[in-house]
Amino acid sequence: MSFLEYNVKTVPAGLSKVLYLNWALIMVITAVAAIGWLMLYSIAGGDIGQWAEPQMKRYLLGLVVMFAVAFTPIWFWRNMSGVAYLVAMLLLLLVEFFGAVGMGAQRWIDLGFMRLQPSELMKVTLVMMLAAYYDWLDDKRTSRPLWVLIPVLLIVAPTVLVLMQPNLGTSVMLLAAGAAVMFAAGVSLWYFAAVGAMVGGIVTAVFTSRGTPWQLLHDYQYTRIDTFLNPGADPLGAGYNIIQAKIALGSGGWTGKGFMQGTQSRLNFLPEKHTDFIFTTLGEEFGFVGAMSLLVLYGLVLLFFMVAAIQNKDRFSSLLIIGVAVNFFLYLAVNLSMVMGMAPVVGVPLPFLSYGGSATLVLLVAVGLVQSAIVHRPR
Amino acid sequence: MTRSPLRPLARILQARAKGENPDGIERENVRLRNEATRDRARTRAQVRLLMLSAGFMAAFSTIGVQMGSLAASVPTEPRRSGAGAEVSATRADILDRNGRVLATNMLTHALYAHPKDMMDPAGTAAKLAAIFPEMKAPDLERRFTDGRSFLWLRRVLSPEQMQAVHDIGDPGLLFGPREMRLYPNGTLAAHILGGAAFGDESVRSAQVIGTAGIELGMDARLRDPAQAATPLTLSIDLTVQATMEEILSAGMVMMNAKGAAGILMDVHTGEIVAMASYPTFDPNDRPNPVLPKDAEPGDSPLFNRAVQGLYELGSTFKIFAAAQGMDLGLVGPETMVDANAPMRWGKHQIKEFEGKNYGPLLSVSDIIIKSSNVGTAHIALMIGGDRQQAFLRALGLMDPSPVELAEAAKVKPLVPPKWPDIVTITASYGHGMSSSPLNLAAAYATIANGGFKVTPTLLHGTTRPAQQRILGEQASRAATHMLRRVVTEGTASFGEVPGYAVAGKTGTADKPRRGGGYYDDKVINTFASVFPANDPAYVLIVTLDEPVETTGPKPRRTAGWTAVPVAAEIIRRTAPLLGLRPQVEVSPLDDITAVKQ
Repeated sequence: MSFLEYNVKTVPAGLSKVLYLNWALIMVITAVAAIGWLMLYSIAGGDIGQWAEPQMKRYLLGLVVMFAVAFTPIWFWRNMSGVAYLVAMLLLLLVEFFGAVGMGAQRWIDLGFMRLQPSELMKVTLVMMLAAYYDWLDDKRTSRPLWVLIPVLLIVAPTVLVLMQPNLGTSVMLLAAGAAVMFAAGVSLWYFAAVGAMVGGIVTAVFTSRGTPWQLLHDYQYTRIDTFLNPGADPLGAGYNIIQAKIALGSGGWTGKGFMQGTQSRLNFLPEKHTDFIFTTLGEEFGFVGAMSLLVLYGLVLLFFMVAAIQNKDRFSSLLIIGVAVNFFLYLAVNLSMVMGMAPVVGVPLPFLSYGGSATLVLLVAVGLVQSAIVHRPR
Repeated sequence: MTRSPLRPLARILQARAKGENPDGIERENVRLRNEATRDRARTRAQVRLLMLSAGFMAAFSTIGVQMGSLAASVPTEPRRSGAGAEVSATRADILDRNGRVLATNMLTHALYAHPKDMMDPAGTAAKLAAIFPEMKAPDLERRFTDGRSFLWLRRVLSPEQMQAVHDIGDPGLLFGPREMRLYPNGTLAAHILGGAAFGDESVRSAQVIGTAGIELGMDARLRDPAQAATPLTLSIDLTVQATMEEILSAGMVMMNAKGAAGILMDVHTGEIVAMASYPTFDPNDRPNPVLPKDAEPGDSPLFNRAVQGLYELGSTFKIFAAAQGMDLGLVGPETMVDANAPMRWGKHQIKEFEGKNYGPLLSVSDIIIKSSNVGTAHIALMIGGDRQQAFLRALGLMDPSPVELAEAAKVKPLVPPKWPDIVTITASYGHGMSSSPLNLAAAYATIANGGFKVTPTLLHGTTRPAQQRILGEQASRAATHMLRRVVTEGTASFGEVPGYAVAGKTGTADKPRRGGGYYDDKVINTFASVFPANDPAYVLIVTLDEPVETTGPKPRRTAGWTAVPVAAEIIRRTAPLLGLRPQVEVSPLDDITAVKQ
């Protein structure tokens, strides 16, 4: 039984939808993006054309797309969920085959004006698909094994494809976002406990078997795991980025060195300074105060998402917003803990701040979906 | 969970009684039940949402706290942590006796690569090949692209090379800090120091291990972390060493020799003040020479002639027979001994140099001064083979030298397995057995120092065991006096250095031919000297390999013409450096002016 209870009369139509958008959310996101432009300008050494300008253009394009998505009724998007999921899966397979034929790890499809990473697209379509599935599914069946198996397969299929690219960061995000939607949809906690226990058991078995005659992995695989988990052990090799990032953050201190005054990140100590490690520049130039301000802005975005999810009586809308929120949260949590040396280095950008097209566009489309859910919510 | 019936009978009957449609009751109940389910689902959804939010909050606080602790931290560049916990990289310095540095450590960097991190393997390979001539671009590119994740490129870099590599700017090229061994004096004392190489290597440090000389001989001491801060002080005097090397190399060229060795040793302590061997090398860049098949080991610059060279040291041995004979009371300095040449012994014939005959009788002093083989042979026969062997062994001529060089222990003097009388005869004038110049220096030190055993050493100021007497003082003095007369009246007249009363004995030995016999025109010339003769302080051995002096009408190959002038020049230059005062010898006064006391 669906909870979709639209009373079309209560839903705004035409241009009046503009009044129902969550403008505060748009402003906060734009503020974050503006900080990103400043940072890109600073990293390029005062050159606006290198990274800041292309990033602004992309953001404005993304904003237009966001409005278009927001003005389209949410039930259209619900009906399109299956199609969108299938298209994204096809694109992933396409990339997989082109990757096999073409050159190495090709993760994107060239659209001419930008390169689209299907794995980024999948982050949104998977959440849409799961939300639509639970919207359609009778609530009584939510926790029945067969009906749990279907969304698990829906999550695992793209995760495996992305893992084969290989892109560990995105696969982890797909898994976590999918699990979060299932959790919010009310799947029995026993399933989560069982999966957690299983993963814990396997990890324990792998590590306790180390050095015994029945060890489950080769020695070099353990070494790789060690380096992955503790990059600091090799400060000139795998741990180089992390340590330089920590130095940059530490040298910023409480108030930072000042705009355009960062040395650690601008003097090419950090290879990924304008993408995944952009937070270090912020930390170095604006210090703890600047970094915390950004965290507060991100916290506001999440707060808006969660309030919208709780307020929305439509099950699809609610789950969709939760999925988007979890994705957004994972982006920044994984990125920040990576930059601060609390998590292994996996290539995950900082939302709206890092230089890059796919993530920005996909995130804005996701915000558009949230806005659509807000505008077209049952009142 | 108890369910309320959708069509409760009581209400249905009531409704029927009132004539209402009972289905309305069912609809009403279905609606209520659905609402209840929906409420439960919504409550559960909201609880879960709040749980998620709590998770977000927790993660955010963790990130905030970490951010704060990072902001409060003092940034430090990564350094080698735990003082080289995995590879011990400390090595003590080596100093000369006056504290001047002979070997120390210098921070440098190794170059290694993470090919998986390389942006442009082909371009990087080409640029590296341009910096380092020994690298080949195609070879490097193949190694960068064959799937390995790590490779060493160079063990050490000069600062210029490091900057050039840095300027390539490829993130796959990395520098590993390490200490390298540095010999700031270049070739000076090369054979003593030997050399060092890298042992266990990591990207953070590298172990430096000795490969030869004192570096290998004292490797454990130099590597001991507890003594890393205490430098190893050698008995070498850098100035004297430099002087000796300068004269030795010049003398080698002047005398057309293919090799030379020199040892200057304190006769009382056995401390080696200078020791050199030519040809030489630079321990900073130890060569790896490829020698032709028929080459002698001594042709390699790495070969330390002073320690590793085993030579038939020739007439320099004669003084041992004379000293022992006098010590045993068999002869005195003026005892007349049969010196009729040639001497027949069984089927062997003992001749003098150039077929001369000093006989029929010659005093022991004259035997040494004129270097008579026959006279020495007769003294040796008086002593007898057993006592002769025991004495030569006590002097250290028949065992590997105990000096602290790694090479010394492997060099065992060549001694005939049996000791018939003919060996007694030949050994008395330094043929038939081979020993090293360093062993000869120690033996001469014993002759000169009053008869105490001397253990050669390269370490300065170490406590030494109580001196062991192996020769009487009288015999020692008499032998030294004979050696002095060799210089004033005998074969080593070029050895006179005014003020320093040089005493010594020449030795010229034909070089043994490979496969038996001796060369006619290849000799080893040795001058074993002691100075000053009135109170001997130092022993100096100079050995020249295949020298020939060509200023005369005929080429001259005796030690008196080759090794002696070189040794004299060394004494002339080094004696003042050693703090010896020149002493003018007062000639005996004429009878007329003598005042009887």
